[in-house]
Amino acid sequence: MITLTINDREVSVYGTATILEAAASVGIKIPTLCYFKGLDSFGGCRMCLVEIERVPRLQTACTVRVTEGMVVRTESEAITAARRAMLEFLLINHPLDCPVCDKAGECDLQDLVAIYGAHEGRFLEGKRTHPENFNDPFIVRNMDRCILCTRCTRMCDGPQGAYAIAVTGRGSHSFIEPFSGGRYNCEYCGNCLTVCPVGAIMSRLHRHSYRPWYVEREVETVCGFCGVGCTMVLQMRGGSIIRTMPYVGEGAVTGSYGSAGSAAPAQGLNKGLLCVRGRFGYDYLENNERLETPLIRKKGILEPVTWDEALSYVASGLKDVKAVHGAKSIGAIASGRCTNEDNYMLQKLMRFVIGTNNIDSSARFYYSPAQSYLERIFGHGVTANLIPGIANADGVLVAGGDPTAINPILGLQVRALWRKRGKIIVVGTPSGLRRFVNYEIKPHPYLEEAVLGAIVTRLAAKKGFRGENDNIEKYIKATAMPGEQLLKKANVSKEIVDQAAEDLAMMKSAVVIIGPELMERPGASKNLFLVSAIAYLTDARIFLLSERPNYQGVIDMGCAPDILPGGRPIEADVLQHKIKDADVADHKIPEHKIKDTAWTKAPVRKGLNLFAMIEAALEGNLKALYVMGENPVFNFPDRRKIENALSKVDFLIVHDIFMTETARRADVVLPAAAWTEKDGTFTNLERRLQRVRSGIPTMPGRGSVSYHRGGGADKRPEWKTLAGIGRLMGMKENYLTSSDVWEEVSRVSTLHAGLSYDRIAGGNTIWPYGSEPFRGVEGEFEVEAPGMPPAMDDGKIYLLQERQLYHSGSITRKSKALMSISCEAHVLLNAGFAERCGLKDGDKVIVTTETGSLTLPVKTDREIPENVAYVPNNFDNVSPLGIIGYTVDGYLGSISLSGNVVTITKADGPSDAAAGEGYGDKKE
Amino acid sequence: MEKILLKNIDNPDSAGIEEYIRAGGYKTLEMAVTQMTPRDIIDEVKNSGLRGRGGAGFPTGMKWQIASMDPKFPKYLICNADEGEPGTFKDRPILEKNPHLLIEGMVISAYALQSTRGYIYLRGEYPLAAGILSRAISAAYGKGYLGNDILSRRFRFDLYLHRGAGAYICGEETALIESLEGKRGQPRVKPPFPVNAGVWNKPTIINNVETFANIPYITEVGGKTYSKIGSKDSPGPKLFSVSGKVVKPGVYELPMGITLREIIYGHCGGLMEGRTLKGVIPGGVSTPILTPEKIDCQMDFVHLSKVGSLFGSGAVIVFDDTVCLVKVYERIMQFFEHESCGKCVPCREGTGWMRNILGRIGSGGGTDEDLDTLEDVAKNVAGKTFCPLGDGAANVTLAFLKQYRDEIEYHVKNGKCPVDGLPHKDNRESHGGQSAPVEQT
Amino acid sequence: MTREEMESKDNETLKDKITGMKRTYPSIQSVLMPALYAVEQSYGWLSQDAIQEVSNHTGVPAAEIKGVATFYSMYRHEPMGRHLVQLCTNVSCLIAGVEDLVKFLDKKYGLLPGGTTKDGRLSLCLMECIGACGNPPAMLVDGDAYDNLTCEAIEQILEKYE
Repeated sequence: MITLTINDREVSVYGTATILEAAASVGIKIPTLCYFKGLDSFGGCRMCLVEIERVPRLQTACTVRVTEGMVVRTESEAITAARRAMLEFLLINHPLDCPVCDKAGECDLQDLVAIYGAHEGRFLEGKRTHPENFNDPFIVRNMDRCILCTRCTRMCDGPQGAYAIAVTGRGSHSFIEPFSGGRYNCEYCGNCLTVCPVGAIMSRLHRHSYRPWYVEREVETVCGFCGVGCTMVLQMRGGSIIRTMPYVGEGAVTGSYGSAGSAAPAQGLNKGLLCVRGRFGYDYLENNERLETPLIRKKGILEPVTWDEALSYVASGLKDVKAVHGAKSIGAIASGRCTNEDNYMLQKLMRFVIGTNNIDSSARFYYSPAQSYLERIFGHGVTANLIPGIANADGVLVAGGDPTAINPILGLQVRALWRKRGKIIVVGTPSGLRRFVNYEIKPHPYLEEAVLGAIVTRLAAKKGFRGENDNIEKYIKATAMPGEQLLKKANVSKEIVDQAAEDLAMMKSAVVIIGPELMERPGASKNLFLVSAIAYLTDARIFLLSERPNYQGVIDMGCAPDILPGGRPIEADVLQHKIKDADVADHKIPEHKIKDTAWTKAPVRKGLNLFAMIEAALEGNLKALYVMGENPVFNFPDRRKIENALSKVDFLIVHDIFMTETARRADVVLPAAAWTEKDGTFTNLERRLQRVRSGIPTMPGRGSVSYHRGGGADKRPEWKTLAGIGRLMGMKENYLTSSDVWEEVSRVSTLHAGLSYDRIAGGNTIWPYGSEPFRGVEGEFEVEAPGMPPAMDDGKIYLLQERQLYHSGSITRKSKALMSISCEAHVLLNAGFAERCGLKDGDKVIVTTETGSLTLPVKTDREIPENVAYVPNNFDNVSPLGIIGYTVDGYLGSISLSGNVVTITKADGPSDAAAGEGYGDKKE
Repeated sequence: MEKILLKNIDNPDSAGIEEYIRAGGYKTLEMAVTQMTPRDIIDEVKNSGLRGRGGAGFPTGMKWQIASMDPKFPKYLICNADEGEPGTFKDRPILEKNPHLLIEGMVISAYALQSTRGYIYLRGEYPLAAGILSRAISAAYGKGYLGNDILSRRFRFDLYLHRGAGAYICGEETALIESLEGKRGQPRVKPPFPVNAGVWNKPTIINNVETFANIPYITEVGGKTYSKIGSKDSPGPKLFSVSGKVVKPGVYELPMGITLREIIYGHCGGLMEGRTLKGVIPGGVSTPILTPEKIDCQMDFVHLSKVGSLFGSGAVIVFDDTVCLVKVYERIMQFFEHESCGKCVPCREGTGWMRNILGRIGSGGGTDEDLDTLEDVAKNVAGKTFCPLGDGAANVTLAFLKQYRDEIEYHVKNGKCPVDGLPHKDNRESHGGQSAPVEQT
Repeated sequence: MTREEMESKDNETLKDKITGMKRTYPSIQSVLMPALYAVEQSYGWLSQDAIQEVSNHTGVPAAEIKGVATFYSMYRHEPMGRHLVQLCTNVSCLIAGVEDLVKFLDKKYGLLPGGTTKDGRLSLCLMECIGACGNPPAMLVDGDAYDNLTCEAIEQILEKYE
């Protein structure tokens, strides 16, 4: 500890602190412009000049570190004069156009001039001018206003790591520019907007329509795009979002962001950062295609009806199906985009009102099977690790996807670790990490197993076994070292495998990040086992990338055919109750009560999972399906099969915010509320529970069913609609608010026992939330054909899904903002391969599988393997998943893409992306 | 005085290694690595009292000692050949005509500092020197004075040439480091100082060309003998580059402490026929100008600061009565504006503001408030900038305002120049030089 | 050789040059300044494409390279004539009458500061001090140094640069 005196006050701080930080620690505020917490100190604006005893010149508080006995004065006549002088210097070139500047009212320069003056200008010459630049869809650059604090470039080159902008020119002729001079062509995180202290870098989305005092309401909530769960603030006016900002800490919600001298640490797991989706993607919520009223299919046409009619229709429809075909003929698909409360209510409706365990979600594709497999190896909660901790590790292995695209803010932590000189090893080609890796291991995507196996055997040889987990060690020992021939086929050198094993062996605090691509292949369980083996051998923290904000919540709320809320296995209950198999088979079992829930009972047998429900539907055994917040027709592979299955469901209910491809086939369509329009909770991929809050003010008269707002979209939360249906079907409970629902969750689920909204709001509600997690499942797992080399195919091109940074499923195609930067699908091919085929960027090609084809423009990339064709599954009319099939992995129960071998031929006509031809949905 | 730094440069082959060796070159290096320890050499440099010849005058021996005590390796040795201070061309004769003296000095220094890698940061404006230095370095490698086994001893030193590209600020050592790292040449926060964490975050010793050129002689004759040359607290020979209105401008090697009068009238042949002295800039344009009555001042670090100026780089610029000092002053401000790196506010905005006012005064648009504003701006810049560049601009302004106020006021009052009776060309709008392009939109 | 082949050969050599430079420095970023000189030579000036190419060979982000390139005043940021006249205008040259030379260049060749002659032969850049204050005024033409300039001398010198 170092003790110094600031303004006659004794201050004790750790020795690495700057004067600015030391002063902030005791509430002494020193004005700053170029300083921004979390960025490297710059020392350019000279606003934080202070006096230090026995030092002749004024010193900048942001750069000078404290020393023992230092005597500092932060305010004096000389200091005030110096600060006024600096502001006068800035104003000689800064335009006085505050009336038309969107920053007015939250401008650091404006605020400081108000305090320190320089009210009258003495500069008689013309100001430096520079035309405002509108060449970017999101970002308006007004370099007249730039004060060259370089906060934006330090953000871009620092925490964000996009390296998209730089100061160009010298001296007073310096400007901030992206490389093109116009368009940014960057990651569009918009974090430069957060840090700009003046109106030089501004969002175009609310140009001339935003003033701080327009904000009627600021709501702290959690972003609804991916599984990271960034805390953010919605700034609302008239029920609409006018801006989203990262949450930066206590008190900041009501003040201006990144305000002068704010040395308070950025809070939340995202540390004041957002990604493109969170910052700019919210406008899909305001899209005029939002569903406004419930719809019922009458004479083949979906007609608007009242809520009462819709709810009765659904309730009686479900009752009828149950009466005729039994509860087991009814199923539901829950949603990783919906809150815990919504998902809880859906499973309650299914399980305890209707009496079926047929409930699942698209978490079944990879997230829930992978987590369950990992938990069987390592025990419960193995994926519950904190994202900000990644940067404190000493090495990372990334396998199966690009964290900077799937979970961007998690990806930034990997970049941060790189800057701290941690080792970053990737298997695959995550383009967002390209500048941040020691090396990429780029196997043939169907031969990852060979490479991982090679690493595991070498790593095991180096590290040895510590005898902690006999089961996994047994399987590791059985893993055969793949031959050189196989590695050669996988296109990976022995040297790089050795190097990776060497580096992994050196790691003392390792992190393993597992992405979806690892599990989309045949042999998914083997891949996952091998990565688990690496995690075991390096004693790593495991992160499982999650494409939806609440996949974890879906699982934890029991939206799976085999588990109850809190993760309690259904069949464990069967055992506990000593129910005989015979009785189960006969369906004679009295439904048993779920603990503490009022008079409701659940069936004791596992239900059908997602894939089994589809098969059941095809066989004519699934008569009713409730789809909430999911679009199987577009988001699931094998569109023909899905459509066929849905066509055989007699009663299809779709509960969504848009008229999706699935909703168009429904018998009843119910409008839903989006994540910014309802209260509730999300559970992120680190299993942190966070509060989601509605930006719309609560209506007077608590519990009023009327959520209608004159003509706009109906923003009734899903749980409320579901509870309405439940009550019509005999459910006794009545819920007025989402907290009533949560209160029930906290009683029903041992995992969430005693957790109130207040506790969740306090932050740090981290797994296992202070409760006893359900145990007793770990330890049993199998590995597919241990030691066997993987099967493979030579020389073929495989169609895979490209996961885009700018998009999230099919909802972001309704975001004008995101569509303005990424509006068209493409097929991403290896540049060398494309060259050999005579293809260059922009050429149109036809990508054909066994079941369909897509016409797309080519995009090339030197770094991706030669035998893959990546197509994003985010655009209207272009669903690569739709033209490929799938199988279910026998060990994991996850999805494996099949039938995705493609041929690529040059096309003459227009592409699907542009004209809507090919296999896809025609606009209605 | 015997020439030490400019020894033999009148010989047309002086830049060649054969000629250099013939005249006794690299003998000191041989003697140093065979008979002296690194510690010995550092001690001799300390004893010599040599102060850095780049302008700041930091004691070289002390810098070396701090660097040698740092346990981190490798240590980098950098020669600052970014001689950008207007009026300065003193390093040029060494670079172009005596490059092996510099190389020998650097190799001895590398031996003393246990540095294995060195760079000569040469300003982009010296293309001729670049060619000569490259050839000299190759020749030194050829003779085994550079490379893996220097003089067959287990001593290794690689030397590279790095060309700047037109940025005065890169003469500032931390900006030079940034530039050598391939970045924009903006100064760094100090501490840490380069001796502890310089280029690539390693201990880095940066010395001026002339400083290194003194090292062979100090090593040869010993610090004590060397310290007898010149003035007591800044000893040694010094290269003065004299330009402006003297009969014989050029580079002169003279002992430290010589008076300006001796330089101008004793060595440079005085002024042109019939002219009177109007002022002298003693150490390059960022040192405050002196009036004629101060030319008996001794030229060294101590005495020049006593008369309100600075020693600087030893670049003496002489003005007679044919020169309009307002025009000179404006040109100097234009220089500062052009060369301000833009990192800190007062320098970036203040230099341009001062230049603008002077441009207006010179072209006939001055107002009564301008002089006060100039003074105020200068005071607001002085002492508040990130690096000394801004201070230089401020101090120059204060000196001109104090000493040549009448001449400036004449321009304000009469809207024309007293020298030729015309207003100056208005240069405010464009510099016309090569600067960053305006953004293409 | 076809034009494409020649271009690809140029690129090869630039890539080789940069590879060679990498041995000179312990960090790749340090290669930028010499690499920019080299790429300027092959493209004539630092166009977007030129900078992008340096980025491709070094892995340093293009925006950052642009920031570095534009910081230094001697790089050519726009297309130039066949020969570049860099005329010093700092104090010693100023008081030696460089302003008359600037006027002469305009009158004689139509060459304005920062401009290029209509025939694309000469470009003029006014420089800060080029360290030739002993014999002012001074200039560099394509890297050759000339001093003690007069209007007549300039005319004679420039004849050599076709």
